[in-house]
Amino acid sequence: MSLANTALIAHTRKLDLVIRHVLAGLGHGIHAGRERGAGVEFSEYRAYVPGDEWRRVDWKLAARADRYFVREAERDSHVAVWLVLDASASMAEPSRNVDGLDKLAYARMLLGCVAAIAQRQGDAFGLVVLGGGKVAFTEASRGPRHLQRVLAQLQRAEPAGSLPDAETLKASLHFAQSPSAIYAASDLLDWPSPLSIALTRLRQMRHDVRVLGLQTQAEVDASFSGDLAYRDPEQEEGVFRFGADLKEGYRRNREAHFGAVTAQCRKNDMPLTLAAIEQSPIEVLRRWLRRPGR
Amino acid sequence: MNALWWLALPVLLLPIWWHRKKRVQNQAAPMATARFLPRTEPRQTRIWLWSDPLLLLLRCLLLIALIAWLADPVYPWRGDTVVVTQGADPAWVEGQAKEAGLANAERVTLPAAQALGWVHTHEREWRADARLLVLGDVPMPAAKPVFGRQVEVRTQAAAPAKVERHVYIASERAGEWRRMFAAQGGPEKIVIDDTPGAATTLIVWDRAEAPPTSLRAGLWWVTNPSAFPELAKARNLDGLRYADSARGRLWHHADWPPQHPDAARALLDSWQQLHVGPRPFTMAPQVFAASPGANAPAPGGALRGVLLAILAALFVLERSLTHARRR
Repeated sequence: MSLANTALIAHTRKLDLVIRHVLAGLGHGIHAGRERGAGVEFSEYRAYVPGDEWRRVDWKLAARADRYFVREAERDSHVAVWLVLDASASMAEPSRNVDGLDKLAYARMLLGCVAAIAQRQGDAFGLVVLGGGKVAFTEASRGPRHLQRVLAQLQRAEPAGSLPDAETLKASLHFAQSPSAIYAASDLLDWPSPLSIALTRLRQMRHDVRVLGLQTQAEVDASFSGDLAYRDPEQEEGVFRFGADLKEGYRRNREAHFGAVTAQCRKNDMPLTLAAIEQSPIEVLRRWLRRPGR
Repeated sequence: MNALWWLALPVLLLPIWWHRKKRVQNQAAPMATARFLPRTEPRQTRIWLWSDPLLLLLRCLLLIALIAWLADPVYPWRGDTVVVTQGADPAWVEGQAKEAGLANAERVTLPAAQALGWVHTHEREWRADARLLVLGDVPMPAAKPVFGRQVEVRTQAAAPAKVERHVYIASERAGEWRRMFAAQGGPEKIVIDDTPGAATTLIVWDRAEAPPTSLRAGLWWVTNPSAFPELAKARNLDGLRYADSARGRLWHHADWPPQHPDAARALLDSWQQLHVGPRPFTMAPQVFAASPGANAPAPGGALRGVLLAILAALFVLERSLTHARRR
């Protein structure tokens, strides 16, 4: 199932098809989002039918009219969902097990799923793509048309350059004014980074920040081929070699880095989900969207 | 000396050097988490990559053609050859060629006097295994010829051609002069002209008065120097005074006409040697062995025309290709 799904991501160019597939596998339950009560606004009365919840019956009206009426609420969330995609060059890291799959494609697909969920829930959603030293915004809005727009933007994102610098990102933070849920997908290899500073700052502004750290199975297992020379995609010079003698050091360095990232996320009360891109996107999505503490 | 131009061949290294790309770094795969690895020395492979091999080839050929044109090479293309002098008896030539086993060899016909010189000039054009036979009435050269390859010479003296020498005698003592000329032997026949003409090579002026100014000849024998003012400053050699004038060269001797047979013979011999030229003497048949110290003369540029055409064609191609590549 897992490999079938990841292969599907790798070989499907149409994002909405993949998202539909993933969301079908996700089932129900996620839709009962934590934002449900927040935007409840009175819309109309409706005659009571057996089965309605008693607490939704308007008792004052019942006293006046001697009939039961149920308050219908137009569930219109004021929560905006912001999708943050790290499209720096390092996100082009391919899976060494599944051909054609890379971190960016995986992040693109998961963010597309979140956008689709937000659209179904009636939330506004916007997109921020960070890459090539620039910030690309797609305004938050609602509706299926906007979903297509966001998916197109996601599809267009290419891995290039590095993250924008802290100043640029800080100047762009005004996007989240109303309470928002921020879903950031990145490889978290740069940490602290302008992105980490921005996310921390957003968290301090009382936004709900969810961070997804994408890895590959080869990174987790430290199982790279020793035959190749490697280079850092975000640095021009420098050549690296991988071998059995370097495996332990690599693992230690990597764990130290992600340990620091996890500690800082915990300290700032930002739920962090670390996932390998070879894993089933349904599982990963479920872990990412799960309310922390549940 | 031209062959020294071949030393310029290392110039070919220049385009080769220009067209060689620098050694390339091993192809490195991107790895996002490379920052967790220690940096290593880049492994580089020393392989030669060529940019524009066609252009490189053209440029090398161009340089080679240029150097070859300057060096003026000789291509040894001649096989077994029989050099026959003009006027040689064909039957004798055939017999000698057959005897030497060169009946089917290439024949080159040359004037007898030039045969050996021509062979010497062109001796590098023969292949190493080619045999060379010179047949005919080859005159004896002044110095012994030296060849870089073996040359066999077989000679047959031809009957000397009758040559007439026209002499005009203006003298009261013409009988004495005629007697002296009649004593001249050899293949030349001396003709006493009644009137001087264009064919007259010698005028004997044994008169007191000066000759008419229109009278000209290669040589004048003068008995009365007062008629020729040029003889006043003449140089003297054993009593014979000689000078150049507008009429021709003047000889004067006080004791002319020669009274003694020895004096007459000496005068005739001098005339023969200095103005008529030595009589050809047929060389003895002999084989010249290849002399290692023989220097073949500089080649006469036999291949230069072809090389120049190749050079021009290569230049045009090279320019066109360079232009097309820039586009």
